[in-house]
Amino acid sequence: MRHYEIVFLVHPDQSEQVPAMIERYKTLIEGDKGRIHRLEDWGRRQLSYPINNLAKAHYVLMNVECSASVLKELETGFRFNDAVLRHLIVSREEAVTEQSFILKNKDDKGERRRRDDDEGFGFVSSDDEPRRERSPRPPRVVADTEPSGS
Amino acid sequence: MSKFFRRKKFCRFTAEGVVEIDYKDLNTLRQYISETGKVVPSRITGTKARYQRQLSKAIQRARFLALLPFCDNH
Repeated sequence: MRHYEIVFLVHPDQSEQVPAMIERYKTLIEGDKGRIHRLEDWGRRQLSYPINNLAKAHYVLMNVECSASVLKELETGFRFNDAVLRHLIVSREEAVTEQSFILKNKDDKGERRRRDDDEGFGFVSSDDEPRRERSPRPPRVVADTEPSGS
Repeated sequence: MSKFFRRKKFCRFTAEGVVEIDYKDLNTLRQYISETGKVVPSRITGTKARYQRQLSKAIQRARFLALLPFCDNH
């Protein structure tokens, strides 16, 4: 039994399926005497860059303890599930149970505190403001309907 | 003699005694990428080599999960 940290991205249109998927993985892991130490549903998040022309994806984080065979089964499950856009599996030394930074920051997003030591290293001085979220690129419109010049 | 006063660089991770840099800690990682999304070299930030390696790995993971951009014109 080893500890793993798993993050996977689900297609936003398949968001409703996420609880069922989590339940399925849970029975798979716990059926082999594994354990889920941390389970976080980050919800639909804006992607930093489009994946498969999608601007958003549903993120799920799991910290699990399971055997190699179960992990393999999980991974093939991710790979052949069309709803899963991407997955990352990292091995960990011990069980991590505290809340991750993503959810922590989501909770105090309203205040948007600015820390003094955020101010950077000379040439990135204009970068000390919190980065604004990028809005998804609007779909390219072929400009044949607009009046052009004339 | 340099004309401008230059603040001494220091490694934040050494100062805070960070055990491991987390790829999910986006606020920290964002301080170490430039406006174009590149990793800022340790010669500029003063990060110790051990932490710079962890940092680059963390940034790569965050990029893979689309938590951080690879570049500025996605």
